[in-house]
Amino acid sequence: MSADLTSSLIDIRGVTKTYVSGSVETRVLHGVDLQVARGDFVSIMGQSGSGKSTLMNILGCLDQATGGSYLLDGVDTLSLSRAQLADIRNRAIGFVFQSFNLIKRMSVAENVALPLIYAGWGRGKAHARALQELERVGLGALGKRTPSQLSGGQQQRGAIARALATDPPLLLADEPTGNLDTQTSDDIMNSFRELNRERGITIVLVTHEADVAAYSRRLVRLKDGRVLYDGPSAEGLRQLNASHTEVPA
Amino acid sequence: MNFIQVLVESFRSMAANRLRTALTMLGIIIGIASVVLLLAIGDSMQRFIGKELQQLGTNMLYVLPGGDRTTAQRARAGAVPSLSIQDAAALDELPSLTGAAPALQGAFKLSAGNESLNSQVHGVTPAMFKIRNWKLDQGNLFSEADVRASSRMVVIGQKVADQFFYKMDPLGQYIRIENVAFQVIGVLEGEGKQIDGSDISELVLVPITAASANLIKTPFPQNVHYIATQGRPDMSLREAEEDIEETLRARHRIRLDDPDDFRVQNMASIADTANKISAGVALLLGLIGAISLLVGGIGIMNIMLVSVTERTREIGIRMAIGARPRAVLLQFLAESVVICVAGGLVGVAIAAAGAAAITATGEFDVFLTFKGVLVACGFATAVGVFFGFYPARRASRLLPVDCLRYE
Repeated sequence: MSADLTSSLIDIRGVTKTYVSGSVETRVLHGVDLQVARGDFVSIMGQSGSGKSTLMNILGCLDQATGGSYLLDGVDTLSLSRAQLADIRNRAIGFVFQSFNLIKRMSVAENVALPLIYAGWGRGKAHARALQELERVGLGALGKRTPSQLSGGQQQRGAIARALATDPPLLLADEPTGNLDTQTSDDIMNSFRELNRERGITIVLVTHEADVAAYSRRLVRLKDGRVLYDGPSAEGLRQLNASHTEVPA
Repeated sequence: MNFIQVLVESFRSMAANRLRTALTMLGIIIGIASVVLLLAIGDSMQRFIGKELQQLGTNMLYVLPGGDRTTAQRARAGAVPSLSIQDAAALDELPSLTGAAPALQGAFKLSAGNESLNSQVHGVTPAMFKIRNWKLDQGNLFSEADVRASSRMVVIGQKVADQFFYKMDPLGQYIRIENVAFQVIGVLEGEGKQIDGSDISELVLVPITAASANLIKTPFPQNVHYIATQGRPDMSLREAEEDIEETLRARHRIRLDDPDDFRVQNMASIADTANKISAGVALLLGLIGAISLLVGGIGIMNIMLVSVTERTREIGIRMAIGARPRAVLLQFLAESVVICVAGGLVGVAIAAAGAAAITATGEFDVFLTFKGVLVACGFATAVGVFFGFYPARRASRLLPVDCLRYE
């Protein structure tokens, strides 16, 4: 699939990642190409060890590629300092994790306000904005609670509110429904779809569940650090199903 | 992330671990309290000694018989006490001195009525009063004529007067010194220790001639135990000392390469030595405090390292949502500085209480100086920065991807 370069939010070309542990080198990504246009909704699937988490970390500027190039919103991330990467994460990327990752001793509202405070907002303004964002995910009344006083689904909603606080163009979600029951998973995925459609937020999520991937428009399947499939989700999932039914035979 | 935000964050994380924070702070509290209190004690001690020395007069020079040799060496050499009344008279003429006064002294049993006490008795001349700056509370001094007549008169300090003549007029009364009756003609003013350890209020002073006639036997009638002199305030004490040496060597006919048979004791140099000693003690006390502060600082570093490890995941989350390495560094540094400054303030309060307690005993006045408190607060901050920096930098250098993986 060839996206128009200028409209690509994510533009990864030939990205490799090698981990060095003592004298042992492990190559996890073998030259991955991936372009994601603004407003797209992409699922990344793959078995454990396929490199999907590594790719996600690189996409989120939490880790840097060993080789290749990564332009995020036209900015070459490989040449950035740690402080500049922090700024990019703050401004351009919202993270949603499997284990929610809200800071436990802060209230949910304070958690949501934190990215704004790192962006230099005043305390009062940041707090007001946080409440607004919590309202949007349906937690308006629960802002003062600490994460431990909330259900898993509520915590994940809080995490989504935090991810969107600085109004980033890109939302990265790593197994966002991994710790949730089916009903709550559906709720969360519906929220993602809504965010993508109504706010135009580009979403890239990692999952190993076909049900979750079905919410996305596009599917990228990784195997052994290489892209195995990149195309519409419906078609990709059908292929995946077919391969699953073939293998046992 | 602004300054207030950083402070709020550090208070929050301190509050989350109250017991740990309190124990960590305790190390700093003890350290700062001991530094401040010990420095204040050292400082007050120095001031105390300085004041005592001032009372004595720092431009005083004492001339004592015998050179640098010990008493035993002098005895073997067959030397005799070498200072005489004539030496004092000669020194009195020196232009570099305001005066010179000879004196004899000895310990005797004093009695009056049913009271008795053992005390040092000094045989002196009226000139001594001027040199030692002794003032009279009541009565008179003995005169030169009294000295010439060996009159049995005595001037006593206030404590002695109180002991023998409580609620009575001491003037005109008699004190027996070794069963020789001396009439009290004057009482000295004031009290306070002098450099030789005696108290002005405990002095017993008789004419030098009366002392030698009735109390103190010397090998030669003209011998004296010491000569007190005072350098002119407008001239250098060193010069006065040289004049004394030159005059006495000439009078004692000491050959050029022979050692002095007398010694000149310079009160200024004694004061100097005392100051050096007390400064040394003050430094030592400060050092002991500094060691406890060091131990407290190591405690901080230890706890901060534990805290960084414990909060690795939190650090990862913060970095993921946009905390720059510097913000992480500042957060941990602020925490250690806040612990130290808070501990420092409590420490200063404890030191102030300690100083007040010591002052309340009445032995010795200890004051915390503003400077001392300022230095302590600066010290506390420095300890916080110094010992907090390494853990904070370690936190800031962690990679977000590793932190988020940390369980």
